[in-house]
Amino acid sequence: MKTKMSLFLLVLTASAATFTALSQAAAQAASWQQIPIPSLPAFKPQQPKRIELANGMVIFLQEDHELPLIDGTARIRGGSVNEPASKVGLVDIYGEVWRTGGTKTQTGDQLDDLLEVRAAKVETGGGPDSTTISFSCLKGDLDDVFKAFTDVLQNPEFRAEKIDIAQKELFDGISRRNDDVAEIAQRESVKLAYGANNPYARNAEYATVAAVTRQDLIDWHGKYVHPNNIILGVSGDFDSAAMEARLRAAFDSWPKGAAAPRKNEVKYSPAPPGNYLVPKDDVNQSTIHMVGLGTTRDNPDYYAINVFNEAFGGGFSSRLFNDIRTKRGLAYAVGGGIGTNFGHPGILQVSIGTKSQSTIEAIRAATEDIDNLSKQPITDDEIQRAKDAILNAFIFRLDSPDKILAERMTYEYYGYPPDWLDKYQAEVKKVTAADVSRVAAKYMHRDQMAVLVVGNTKEFDNPLSSLGPVKNIDITIPPPPAEKEQGEHRGEESGKPAASNPAGQALAAKVAAAMGGLPKLKSIKAIHVNISESDSGGPPSPIDVFLAFPDRMRVELQMPQGNLTIVVSPDAAFMSMAGMGSRSMPPAQKTEMLSQLQHDLIYIAQHSDDPTFTFTAAGTEKISDVDAAVLDIDGAVPWVRWYIDPKTGYVLREKYKGVGQAGPFEGETNLADWRSADGLTIPYNHQNKQNGQETSHAELKKFELNPQLDPKLFAKPAETPAVKQ
Amino acid sequence: MKHHTLKTALVMLLLSAIALGQDVASFEKRITVKKLPNGLTLMICERPESPVFSFFTLVDAGSAQDPLRATGLAHMFEHMAFKGTDKIGTTDYAAEKPALEKVEVAYAAYIAERDKTVGRDEAKLTQLEKAWKDAIAEADKYVVPNAFGKLVEQNGGEDMNASTSYDETEYHYSLPVNRLELWAYLESERFLHPVLREFYKERNVVIEERRMRTDSSPFGRLLEQFTEEAFAAHPYHRPTIGWISDLNTFSATEAQKFFDTYYVPSNMVVAVAGDVTAAQAMPILEKYFGRLPTRPQPDETTTTEPPQNSERKVVLKDRSQPIYIEGYHRPDYRSKDDAVFDAITDLMSEGRTSRLYRALVRDKQIASFSEGITGYPGVKYPHLFAFLAVPLPGHTPQQMADAIHAEIDKLKKEDITDDELKMIKTRSKANLIRGLADNEGLATQLATYQTRYGDWRELFRSVDRIDQVTKADIRRIANEVFVDTNRTVGEIETSGGGEPASGEPSNHAADQGGAQ
Repeated sequence: MKTKMSLFLLVLTASAATFTALSQAAAQAASWQQIPIPSLPAFKPQQPKRIELANGMVIFLQEDHELPLIDGTARIRGGSVNEPASKVGLVDIYGEVWRTGGTKTQTGDQLDDLLEVRAAKVETGGGPDSTTISFSCLKGDLDDVFKAFTDVLQNPEFRAEKIDIAQKELFDGISRRNDDVAEIAQRESVKLAYGANNPYARNAEYATVAAVTRQDLIDWHGKYVHPNNIILGVSGDFDSAAMEARLRAAFDSWPKGAAAPRKNEVKYSPAPPGNYLVPKDDVNQSTIHMVGLGTTRDNPDYYAINVFNEAFGGGFSSRLFNDIRTKRGLAYAVGGGIGTNFGHPGILQVSIGTKSQSTIEAIRAATEDIDNLSKQPITDDEIQRAKDAILNAFIFRLDSPDKILAERMTYEYYGYPPDWLDKYQAEVKKVTAADVSRVAAKYMHRDQMAVLVVGNTKEFDNPLSSLGPVKNIDITIPPPPAEKEQGEHRGEESGKPAASNPAGQALAAKVAAAMGGLPKLKSIKAIHVNISESDSGGPPSPIDVFLAFPDRMRVELQMPQGNLTIVVSPDAAFMSMAGMGSRSMPPAQKTEMLSQLQHDLIYIAQHSDDPTFTFTAAGTEKISDVDAAVLDIDGAVPWVRWYIDPKTGYVLREKYKGVGQAGPFEGETNLADWRSADGLTIPYNHQNKQNGQETSHAELKKFELNPQLDPKLFAKPAETPAVKQ
Repeated sequence: MKHHTLKTALVMLLLSAIALGQDVASFEKRITVKKLPNGLTLMICERPESPVFSFFTLVDAGSAQDPLRATGLAHMFEHMAFKGTDKIGTTDYAAEKPALEKVEVAYAAYIAERDKTVGRDEAKLTQLEKAWKDAIAEADKYVVPNAFGKLVEQNGGEDMNASTSYDETEYHYSLPVNRLELWAYLESERFLHPVLREFYKERNVVIEERRMRTDSSPFGRLLEQFTEEAFAAHPYHRPTIGWISDLNTFSATEAQKFFDTYYVPSNMVVAVAGDVTAAQAMPILEKYFGRLPTRPQPDETTTTEPPQNSERKVVLKDRSQPIYIEGYHRPDYRSKDDAVFDAITDLMSEGRTSRLYRALVRDKQIASFSEGITGYPGVKYPHLFAFLAVPLPGHTPQQMADAIHAEIDKLKKEDITDDELKMIKTRSKANLIRGLADNEGLATQLATYQTRYGDWRELFRSVDRIDQVTKADIRRIANEVFVDTNRTVGEIETSGGGEPASGEPSNHAADQGGAQ
């Protein structure tokens, strides 16, 4: 009986409380007040052991023998805040491909197999301020898993095919980012609070994601992943001395590198106060975020702010919850406060989800609650309740060794004192009503907030403009860069370096040898093949293809309606249909045909020693039972990828990008049935796919090397409607 | 094939290592179960890690028990369980009680007029509505808002929440351990003397919850339609949150009746995990929970979903990007094949070695996410094994269907490998261990297994059952269950939609995108 937590169940389960809280004197006289509350037993939470290696790496060890598990996390300075604006998304891609792209000696897929059979994990991720790499395993597997962890940490390979996958996932996220109203409101309110171009607020776009190359990932890793930029925490069922020895053996000799900045100079440009609107007509609830810039946790006001937040917007007891949800029934989700973070300012905000018809009413209600802070300051009783809530729940910040470890790592990372949590407790106790009034007056001003509404404007109770001038926010997703540009950057887009690598050149030579050797290949000036091709469901149709390298091609299809001829040459590009005359081919299609010609196996194999072609080995990937060698080909020809059987040297699969009637597609051809004829070995069976869908299947019927080709075959016929028989 | 043998050997080693550490025997010593004379089951799990505890109250009634014309009622009561008691949340219950009764009388009169099919008197309706609202205002005078929640928060309550699913309703939070007795009072009092105050305002809050989760969310809209389509007869076809007309109609009287029928001690399990000893804590729990009056066990029999004999499909033409789901009917959790479905879930969905990830995300590169899960939308009654896929830009729901079906065909025609079977079994053991690492998880799992099987030890035995699963079982179930006549499909098809009807400029938000 398993109910796996998933997207499904999250949506299905309906819950009573979401966030957040007013207060009233406990007027009830009742029995709970007579229930004794003994003092809490003395509790000295165990602090982790801190070790600093000579190379600057900081290690925390936290023993926890409850379960036979060991977990570790390394936090590394440098995050998406530090990525260039033209490559937003770089750290997201890095965070994924660091792990999925494998190491110098093992592919990511091999790591998956190794770890999953042990129910273990090694994972990486990218965040705004830092990147992380972590492991989790049963203690008996520590040797194997720790080895994989250090291998990923120190020797990542960032294989190109996994960069493709990561980029596609980001493209998917971009395409879906306006589907969900909460996501829109969150994203746009952060931009209002920090400024649209602020590095904590900016978004990845198609263009910035496409601009990220494999070299960027390698460079990022080289720049940041040094022991002096790393804080590593390990917790679980181990002996600290033995673990220390293990970590020293692994990392003591790791040389120091360039130190990353401890603090980022970031500019905050909050939007001017006012009303901001994102119309969305497929919802019946408005999402309202009223925002401004918050502060950091090293601000001396932090403790009073926390008490204020608890009393104003933090739970069942808060003023916002009691007024907007309980008293007015206007919202399920309501909350707010003066946001804080360790490393950069948080966001001050009040957020409400209310039916379209009470949008303005809810904003007015929240305005009243904010304005009331000066008219009816938070009372001693509310403050007592808020402090009780914070202090009595304080124990939950350190009720597990894991949590204590995580807190300590955070303080270390942001340069807070190690006993910051103790100080926090002491300082909250000291907060007075005057402190709370002071911070409320200092930070919470309705007239300084940007009010964002995402909702169905035609259903609003009043137009948003009834509250003052309104600025519409355009959330149109910038389309991907034009196809032409993509074509020019295909190599870059697929994450390839511009030069061949030796392994790649060796693979290309191997393929050439398997096909009959370079001298034989170079003797081929032209070919003629007869193919029987069938697309899904249809009967096979015969096709004749004439290729004269490097740039002339003629295809003749016999179809029930008559013969179709397609010709591409430097001088002409046209299609002609029996009885219907000929038509020039659009330039895009001509380019596409030429790239097909240049993707021909024989053509590329002929150039396996050509320096204008780049051949880059990119690891291995399983094709059926074969660990195929992956070879990226680029340079003088549009990008194509070969998957090569290392035993035979045969190309098992080709991948390439094409443009069809329905737009760009990911092309794939599986090659099989290799036969030798005339000293040349080639595949007789071709299975074609576009975007993963099978499109056609071709069998080679006849094959002719260096046929006599009449130049007229490639010339555009004068007036005659039909062409050749 | 050498490495296969090696892997198998490693797995065998691993299994024996786990078996030593975490078995039923080691928990026997820490877990105490007591069934009270009123039928309520109390459980205590001693975990002296730090001076806190968590609890999980499970009421074995959910939205599947919602009466006809009152969908959403189980969930509505769950919200009301935060509204206090005759002592908490009132300034004068003696005066509040009759005021609340007047609200019900006024509401019944208002609804009777409102829902007249013939001869509705609009003037009278306005008058009745005003009378109802006036009665509410009168009752509200005695309310101390959110007194219950405030009390919990002030005492350090952490993660206070509750949820309602098709099968059950649960309540939980954590407190410092010196508040155990206070908690026992509050949690028992909540179900001993609930007062359904501020009912109609809270109903509006629930309607906002519906707008947020379902109406204003493309995936929420799809799931509601999909689930409704998949179940023709069983109450699983109705949304837990409730249909809007029901939400605008049901009364506090009906919610009270629901409570009286289903919140019966013999239908409830309360589990506590944390730094407590059974010797000290059990008498306290008994004292407070023993006060709940014995009441008859409710009749929870319902229509059994008949076999599906034709494929069903819902297509939501929406402004948002495409999503694909399909579900196949399977028997309830007591089926002897339950563990086989768990094994298939693991095989298809768990991690980057899972078949759906490898096929759709890694190899075909047509989806950003795909999984197959059992237990949708509940487990207590025959339910669905569902597959989900989120297509990448430029790919269609049909491609998701084809790719998922190709994987299903593989399950039907070929045995899974030895490595895969071992991996499933290892992971089920490791996942069990990881689930025992905190008080919340322990209390949740113990109460759930005690409710569903009458014995918490089934939590550990469930791993043994997965250990018994064979390759032939997986093929058999795939062939029996994953057939097209047993399938319901739900998909979002992106459609342009019209211009927003408002006078304000359009953003074409959902029309854009698509990486092509």
